[in-house]
Amino acid sequence: MNEMVIETTGLRKEFRTRKGRHIVAVQDLDLAVPAGGVHGFLGPNGSGKTTTIRMLLGLARASNGEMRLFGKPVPRHLPEVMDRVGAVVEQPKFVPTFSGRKNLSLLARSIGVPSSGVDAALDRVGLTGRDKERYKGYSLGMKQRLAIAATLLKDPDLLILDEPTNGLDPAGIRDIRDMIRHLGESGVTVLLSSHILAEVQQVCDSVSIIGNGRLLASGKVDGLIGDRAATTTRVRVDQADAAAARLAEAGHRVSRDRDALLVEGVEDPSLITRLLAEHRMYVREIVLQRPDLESIFLQLTKDDTLTARPGDGDADPSAARSMEGVA
Amino acid sequence: MRLLGVELSRFRSRRAIALILVAAALLTALVAVTTIWETRPISAADRASAEAMAASEADRPFHKRELARCERNPERMFGPGATAEQCLELVPQPEWFLGRPTLSLEENNESTGIAIIVLITALSVVIGTTFAGADWASGSLSNQLLFEPRRSRVWLAKAGAVLAGTLAATTVILAAFWVTLYLVAESRGIPTGATVQEAIRETAGRGILLAAGAGLGAYALTMLLRHTVGALAVLFAYAVGGEILISVLPFEGSGRWSLGNNVFAWLQDGYDYYDPTLPCSPGTSYCEQVAHLSLGQSATFLAVLLVLGAAASVVLFRRRDIP
Repeated sequence: MNEMVIETTGLRKEFRTRKGRHIVAVQDLDLAVPAGGVHGFLGPNGSGKTTTIRMLLGLARASNGEMRLFGKPVPRHLPEVMDRVGAVVEQPKFVPTFSGRKNLSLLARSIGVPSSGVDAALDRVGLTGRDKERYKGYSLGMKQRLAIAATLLKDPDLLILDEPTNGLDPAGIRDIRDMIRHLGESGVTVLLSSHILAEVQQVCDSVSIIGNGRLLASGKVDGLIGDRAATTTRVRVDQADAAAARLAEAGHRVSRDRDALLVEGVEDPSLITRLLAEHRMYVREIVLQRPDLESIFLQLTKDDTLTARPGDGDADPSAARSMEGVA
Repeated sequence: MRLLGVELSRFRSRRAIALILVAAALLTALVAVTTIWETRPISAADRASAEAMAASEADRPFHKRELARCERNPERMFGPGATAEQCLELVPQPEWFLGRPTLSLEENNESTGIAIIVLITALSVVIGTTFAGADWASGSLSNQLLFEPRRSRVWLAKAGAVLAGTLAATTVILAAFWVTLYLVAESRGIPTGATVQEAIRETAGRGILLAAGAGLGAYALTMLLRHTVGALAVLFAYAVGGEILISVLPFEGSGRWSLGNNVFAWLQDGYDYYDPTLPCSPGTSYCEQVAHLSLGQSATFLAVLLVLGAAASVVLFRRRDIP
């Protein structure tokens, strides 16, 4: 079993708004992120991703539950493990009137990193040459790069990135994704919080999906996709009604989508073509539709929206549907 | 110590703080230059100018008429037994136009010296609030806590930077002011006794502690309220509204709790102030209603205020969620 880099048990965060409204931002969240690789942290806006990250990093107090980083209970032992954790939470936050280098140098000095470490971090995110400009003059993409450079100062074992490609141009997005992928492959554990499903599917090895502060699903990306939704085959044939009847007789679940038939649960399309050909019905088009992370995400979060709202009260632990063990 | 070094570097690099310190130095220099100019020695040109003005004044018909009237009847103007020679007192003299004080370090210690300390103290308050407020406003505090999660250490390092920065700046500015006045006095041959020098050192020393304490208190309050403007508004409300409240409170001796009275008692080694809430002895026709605040009393008041503010600030900073 892999070592867990991040573990939360029954994690809960409640707060009151200024108007006195009681909000449950995170409900009894059990999260487990194994060492190594890139782990996606997926959820719609307001689902509790950032709040969870802030609690893990000691920026917000948990109302209940336990958290561990590298096996150490946090926030009590956070100072012991913080040197191994790099993080960007929400948007980059630096002193606007200082240069990028000055901002980074101050952070580096606070953990005893020499100026050569600052040079290396700036170089790695492509900010060398622009480092002496004031931070407030940076574009959003440059700010994001500087924030990532700050995380690299520590040479971290765990990198927590909250929407790291926000504001980046396509080349910048590719660079950052490549870097995340590379870090994941080099043994760094990356927790990537994102609402960009394609990004998570491209970059992540495993994923946890949360909605309304609760864990909805967790597991390897491929496993999650494979287990969650049955394969659907889209078939176009001239005698659609007759074909649907034949397929149903053969035990397949068939539905209509305009002039096409949707056949569920058939992994091998040749079964369909052979069956219909035996009845002199010839297929004009056949497409195997595999589910992607987006469809699973939308299905999970849609279901969750229908069953729970923030502040409804205690979360139902059964709502956390573990699709596949990540260990 | 590493964190303190980082915070001192942050303190030095803040442009707003640098501008405030430059403003404090320039205003102090302006006060010094004005003091030196207004007490400059009387030159031959000054005397010639005064003599010309006196002669011109004496030539005016009004003066000539008054002089003639006096000489005709001196007793009418100077009383019984007066002689005509006394009427020469009415003739304008050059000294009348040379009314310029001599530079006195003792007098300046009690006037301009105190004014400069109050000015630097007010600017230290702004420095303390802006130093903490900028971290909250930019959100960079959360970033700093990702590198040093021990919040008490972060709070203390920043407090140390404000304390050290304001202490150093106030010391340099006050030292420059008094050394300048001392050298000018020496060059003019004005005696600067050891007692006066000792008094200046004591007042300046208390002034430096006051300015640094004010900066620290303002920093602590801003860490509590998380907004520069909010902290300044609360301090203003306390300094002005509190004084008004104390003056209208029906409690006997409420002036004891006035911030202004305590500040002046601290700076001047005790302070006598008017307190209308003090009772008058029955049957007396004159009631002075003046109270005295000692140095010790004011030191206790200001120290308690600072310690309570700092404690509340650090305790809340340790517990609260950081945006």
